[in-house]
Amino acid sequence: MLLTNTETIPGYRIKEVKGLVQGNTVRAKHIGRDIMAGFRNLIGGEVSGYTELLTESREQATERMIDHAEDLGANAVVNVRFSTSAITQGAAELYVYGTAVVVVKETET
Amino acid sequence: MHVFISMEELVTVLVTLLSVLLPLGIAVGCIIMGHFTEKWHLQSLRERESGYPRSAVSQVKTFPNIQPGSQTPQLVVAEVVIASDYWKTFWAGWVNFFGGEMRGYQKMIDRARREAVLRLLEQAEEKGFNAICNVRIDTADITGASTAPAKRAASMACVLASATAYMTS
Repeated sequence: MLLTNTETIPGYRIKEVKGLVQGNTVRAKHIGRDIMAGFRNLIGGEVSGYTELLTESREQATERMIDHAEDLGANAVVNVRFSTSAITQGAAELYVYGTAVVVVKETET
Repeated sequence: MHVFISMEELVTVLVTLLSVLLPLGIAVGCIIMGHFTEKWHLQSLRERESGYPRSAVSQVKTFPNIQPGSQTPQLVVAEVVIASDYWKTFWAGWVNFFGGEMRGYQKMIDRARREAVLRLLEQAEEKGFNAICNVRIDTADITGASTAPAKRAASMACVLASATAYMTS
């Protein structure tokens, strides 16, 4: 599965558009991580627990989007966009969407 | 007349001292730590940024100077969450009262964005590319500042960046 956040993929030609595909997830970290984040807020610096939370959420949402694209018979997703929203404290909703397409190498046409 | 103070008096003095000094010490410690965390981070950002040419990062949808026939471009994504420190939160409280620019927070979110773009570049390099285009930077709200009462939410800069890595000639 080819993923890009540009509208085209150099060296490939879009043969067929399969439409919008999307994936989302709402995740949270256990209370220990939230407490550690509280301490982090005193001394500053990166909150690795929450960075991890975003990474995991993004991976899961992307996986769901790819599954959706595969179901449609696409072999690439172009113009991928990420979006987040606030649900409650310590949790993140991550939403990823893109256009599923069938691409072929330009030489093959 | 006693030369030695009684045990009870000693305990009272110690407890009073501790109850004043401990919170003060923690506050001062946090302020110093916060100052250095930011200083070291900015230093690391400058060092790592100098390793990449300015032209390696672009925000356009086309692929500037792409090398024809190079490997297929790939999506790269990076996340960064940076916490405020004791001093920034304290200062921002006053600025919020009197109005004005919250410079501490401005610097904090700027650090998070720079770090995110650097991570994109580092990921691109790992995958064998040397440039990124169509950089998109977004922020998240993990602490729920928009859902919880403002005073309960911690101040953090949560940045989510994405780009497409490719090979330039």
